[in-house]
Amino acid sequence: MTTDTQHQHLAALLARSALGDRGAFEEVYRATRSKLFAVSLRIVRERQLAEEVLQDSFVSIWNHASDYAQARSAPTTWMTAIVRNRSLDVLRRGAHETEDVDEMLALNLVDESASPARDLEESEDLHSIRHCLEELEAEQRQSIALAFFHGLSHSELALHMRKPLGTVKTHIRRGLMRLKDCLGKRGTTLDGRG
Amino acid sequence: MRQFPVTLQHALAAEYVLGTLRGRARQRFERLLRSDRGLAAIVRGWEDWLTPLAANLAPVEPPARVWQEIAARIAPRAAAAPASFWSSVGFWRGLGTALAVALVALVVLFPRTQPAAEAPSMVAVLTTPEQDPRMIVERHADKLMVRMVKPWTQMPGQDLELWAIPKDGKPRSLGVVRYDADTEVRLANLDLKLTDSVAFAVSREPTGGSKVEGPSGPVLCSGVIARTQRA
Repeated sequence: MTTDTQHQHLAALLARSALGDRGAFEEVYRATRSKLFAVSLRIVRERQLAEEVLQDSFVSIWNHASDYAQARSAPTTWMTAIVRNRSLDVLRRGAHETEDVDEMLALNLVDESASPARDLEESEDLHSIRHCLEELEAEQRQSIALAFFHGLSHSELALHMRKPLGTVKTHIRRGLMRLKDCLGKRGTTLDGRG
Repeated sequence: MRQFPVTLQHALAAEYVLGTLRGRARQRFERLLRSDRGLAAIVRGWEDWLTPLAANLAPVEPPARVWQEIAARIAPRAAAAPASFWSSVGFWRGLGTALAVALVALVVLFPRTQPAAEAPSMVAVLTTPEQDPRMIVERHADKLMVRMVKPWTQMPGQDLELWAIPKDGKPRSLGVVRYDADTEVRLANLDLKLTDSVAFAVSREPTGGSKVEGPSGPVLCSGVIARTQRA
């Protein structure tokens, strides 16, 4: 399936879920669980926690399936945002001590932003963000990728990158604003006041 | 409400979506998001921009128990068929038999912290549709004690609400209970609320409780009431 027809298929399944169709919802789960589990696992770093996040997220997706129509994003984007927010909430509960982070990161982190394209069916959106990330300075790109994929906070990033906190905050802020300019130029404009 | 300049809105929205906006700032921002549509649109835009990156991750298969737990927690939509769910004979009958065993086990397993004189006059073990015991409700002279067997995961913007289910099936709210610790429910009209009650149930609701008459969210657990002495 192309990404567009996949989106349409998932959107239709979500619409049926909103009406109480559990079979349709199970299909949504089957189609997205492994990607979404990977997203959460990277951020919360423990399987047990990631399983809880996935459960809570899907219960929330079921409860809010009727809101999806208003979201106007791709279904996977909408669902990924729910899983990411839930994962970050779990981190917020203080499940992780900063001390562990440095060592663990040194062993486990990969710079996803630098990985080559794997998908032939890469979506237009993914193509845009990858292209724009490549235009950033290395440290801006690295800090944004670490924050996005691994849920690192400013201070965890500072520890990991061995940079002062202020420097890391600047990398992130400037990197994000350059991304905005680049993505804006590529025609994927924001709604609202952007 | 305070209005931020557009550049600042973008800076905050971007760090919110990226995940570097943390702690109180994140909570404040989430509150703001609920009331400011313009800001919500900017956040959605950043989600559209950044989240496709997640497609890069190698998939990881979650264990089968994750779906089982989800399936158990997505009870039939209360809005779609409230009456049939709450008054379904099969529902209560199935619950009754399974609970007899769980009830005895739990009452024995959970040592009473109060002296025997304060023994509850009603007890109910609330289980998930999969018969997993999650909470115990006890009626004492002046209050209900809602005891936690296994804490629930907190979901932002949501609360757990306790219901008394009378014979006629129309749930009466007993208020919001904690998701991770015991709750004491003290209500002036407790007797009235519990009149003819046959069961307790807990549903997930928006913050502050259901905005409609009766539960609006999924029922997480429920259990029939056992009367341990003449009330």
